[in-house]
Amino acid sequence: MSLFIESIGFGLITASVLAIAAVGFTVQFGVTDVLNLAYASVMICSAYVAYLINQLGHGQSIWLAMVVAAAFGAVVSLVLNKYIYAPFQRRGTSPVAVVIVSLGVLLIIEYLVQAFEGAANVSYTMTQGATLNFLGLTLTVVQLAIMGLSVVFMIGLHLLLRYTRFGKAMRATAADRVLARNCGIRTDRVITLACLLTGALCGVAGTVFAINTGSFGATSADLFLVLILAAVFLGGPGQPYGAMLGALVIGVVTEVSASVITADYKYVPAFVILLVVLAVRPRGLFSAGTLN
Amino acid sequence: MSAEETSNAKSTQGAALATELLSAGYAGRAVVQELSIRVEPGEVVSVVGPNGSGKSTLLKALVGVVQVLSGKVLLDGKEITNWAPDAAARAGIGYVPQIDDVFAPLTVRENLEMGGYLLPLREVPGRMTHVLEVFPQLARMLSRKAGQLSGGERKMLAMGRVLMLQPRAFILDEPTANLAPALANTLLEDHIRQLSATGASVLVVEQRARAVLAISDRTYVLTGGRCRLEGTPAELLASPDFADTFLGGTRHASEPAAE
Repeated sequence: MSLFIESIGFGLITASVLAIAAVGFTVQFGVTDVLNLAYASVMICSAYVAYLINQLGHGQSIWLAMVVAAAFGAVVSLVLNKYIYAPFQRRGTSPVAVVIVSLGVLLIIEYLVQAFEGAANVSYTMTQGATLNFLGLTLTVVQLAIMGLSVVFMIGLHLLLRYTRFGKAMRATAADRVLARNCGIRTDRVITLACLLTGALCGVAGTVFAINTGSFGATSADLFLVLILAAVFLGGPGQPYGAMLGALVIGVVTEVSASVITADYKYVPAFVILLVVLAVRPRGLFSAGTLN
Repeated sequence: MSAEETSNAKSTQGAALATELLSAGYAGRAVVQELSIRVEPGEVVSVVGPNGSGKSTLLKALVGVVQVLSGKVLLDGKEITNWAPDAAARAGIGYVPQIDDVFAPLTVRENLEMGGYLLPLREVPGRMTHVLEVFPQLARMLSRKAGQLSGGERKMLAMGRVLMLQPRAFILDEPTANLAPALANTLLEDHIRQLSATGASVLVVEQRARAVLAISDRTYVLTGGRCRLEGTPAELLASPDFADTFLGGTRHASEPAAE
């Protein structure tokens, strides 16, 4: 029983990391109409940037490094959209072909990271902090911080999308770009800001992913990309609240499976759930429309 | 948008909307050809014609959604040819598309807020109050998602959304297309005619020729992307050619065109 409860704790941590990544991914998809698979490589690239900052001088705080990684992720995401995906979209390239373009970008970035950093995995220099016990869960301070960070980002994004003019303009742009322009909304600016925002989430997600896995290399996030896609499609693509719920389901089910079945097959039940949900609700759990 | 621009938009009640020898279409192929139309401030002008005659394409060219291939679009004499849709909105054009006319996943209130996107934030509640006086039905459903509204409610929201900015020129694409006949007449008579009351120019495309004639000051008849007839409702109703085409006679074959 205690193993089961402990696995729920692990599941919540995985879900926290996954939620940051999946929400950034799904909002970016909703606004830009690009299913950007290179997102995982931007995560890892940002995690490396955090590593470089972390290793500077006598060692820098990983949380400071995460802020730099967020800025890096924001800029790279914007550059990818502006100079690669958007030009393809303007030329009338089909959405599926743009996905393949993003797959190419994913590989290019991963090989670039490998070329600069080598094939060996690296780890951040940091302490996990004290171990805390409550409700049968055993968590470190760092793990709690990751969960807290995730909750803060989810609430922050909710407030942004529901209560600010820019957030509503993002939802309007995601719902109907031409109509948004008819309202006077400069959708190109909205897309730029959305890329920066989701790119920052991507950078944070990469850093907390790397903290959580302990050591990481250029291709470490590849399997995680599949989990992101699962969370995104479980909730309905373009649906931030769906992605939050999807991340929770996928994260917890994965870790609980690891304890009750075996760690080798821990991803299988999560994907069975995804297939069942998509069979019943083809557009995901939340299917009201993008970014809503 | 600066405060100065806003106050300008407000002080000017209406603007004449015109095209000069306008050709527009898709992928370089002209659907609308050498069309010259004019709507004066305070006037309701309608464009009628069979399916595929280029009515929607004309409107989309005016608001920057379809490319103008040659000729001019003028708002109060100022050329706005091929301005981006958001620039056209800032210039004072309010466009209600035939379909995809509201943000379906957003609430009624959020749709109106997006309609007032160009206003300073503090002016939005006041404008919304005004729009809800014009369309009181909407006041009861502010928290409902636009996608859940009935056809008539949805069209009122689409018009209310545009009304948020007090545009100088209204452009409406088949506003009654999905409405029952009684509701269509109510919308045309009670609301669309009213849009011109403040001095704005109103250009409306309609399939229901007889109904729209009743609220129009002038009407253009389009076939095959060209203007075939033009005149006041009385003139057109007296024209055998018009009666033959629209009021019971056989419809002329039209060129296939994207609408």
